Amino acid sequence: MTLDELAFRLNDFDGEEGTTFDALVTEQDILEVTCSNNDEFPIHVTQTETQILAVTPLFNISEVEPDNIEELNAIFLRLSPAVPLSSIGLQGETYILFGAMALSTRFEVIAHELEVQAENTIDVLEAVEHLLA
Amino acid sequence: MGVLKDLMQAVRGGANEVGEAIVDANAIRILEQEIRDAESAIASAKQSLTRMKSSEIGLKRDLSTLGADIADYEQKAIAALNAGEEALATEVAERIAELEGERDDKAGEQAALNEEVNKIHAMIKARERTIQKNKRELDKVRTVQELQRATESVSRNFAATGSKGHRVSQALDRVKAKQQNWQDRMEAGEWLESQEGVDDIDAKLKAKGIGASGASAGSDVLARLKARQSG
Repeated sequence: MTLDELAFRLNDFDGEEGTTFDALVTEQDILEVTCSNNDEFPIHVTQTETQILAVTPLFNISEVEPDNIEELNAIFLRLSPAVPLSSIGLQGETYILFGAMALSTRFEVIAHELEVQAENTIDVLEAVEHLLA
Repeated sequence: MGVLKDLMQAVRGGANEVGEAIVDANAIRILEQEIRDAESAIASAKQSLTRMKSSEIGLKRDLSTLGADIADYEQKAIAALNAGEEALATEVAERIAELEGERDDKAGEQAALNEEVNKIHAMIKARERTIQKNKRELDKVRTVQELQRATESVSRNFAATGSKGHRVSQALDRVKAKQQNWQDRMEAGEWLESQEGVDDIDAKLKAKGIGASGASAGSDVLARLKARQSG
């Protein structure tokens, strides 16, 4: 499935929990997906030869109170295994929530993963909100 | 060496600035070159296999012809012995020995050929493993590049707004407010539905002339007022 096809199907889809999607392919060829359960932190979807990657940028290191960075990293390391379907990581200077799926993943499963990732974003941010500058 | 170690060194070296290529282009070229080398080695190995297959077919044919010839001469030698032609039988026996020697040579050749074929199969497998391994390594590189691309556009936005910390809290508040709003609307919807249910029952009762109707309520009130006046 190309990103364009994925966008087309997402825009036309209602999730089991009533979630809907706004999906568009940007000029940089990244699929930007906004889920109705969390329209503040869009998910950026892209592909390699084998995987579909779903990335939600959370915040920049510079947005963390400098004294709290160690604690934040420790919380994220402990939290990551508990977050369903998504992992927490650092890309460059940006903390991200990300999920990886095989290219052959069924559309309904992709949609479900995106829905859960949007939900996870809120949970994860709530857990560390107090450590931000 | 795995690509991940290279990636880590690049990160430690501060190569993770936005827009900067995180992965050494040389490492990628080496992986790609190894894949191409392995693929062309496999292609030429397959050609050799084809050639060997035709040699093998030829050898098999020769061996079966030799086997048939030997059996044939053996029968003839026995026939010659039975006819008391000892000299002729000896000549045939020599011919048989010659053919057997030829057969053994061919059998040796076939064994060597089989060994060679097995080696080539093992080589092809090893090369295919190299290709798969390198493709996985390349996919790690691609993954990092894609993660970088997917993150980059937004982190630029983070920087552009110049807002810190509170940006996240504000966004969280807005999301939660929307969710609350949605929850409230759901509850309102449920309430409305339950009210419609009540109205429904009232309407049914009224239709059957059961319960307080508007008209009887008026007369009841009048009766009550009259009672109070007289009291």
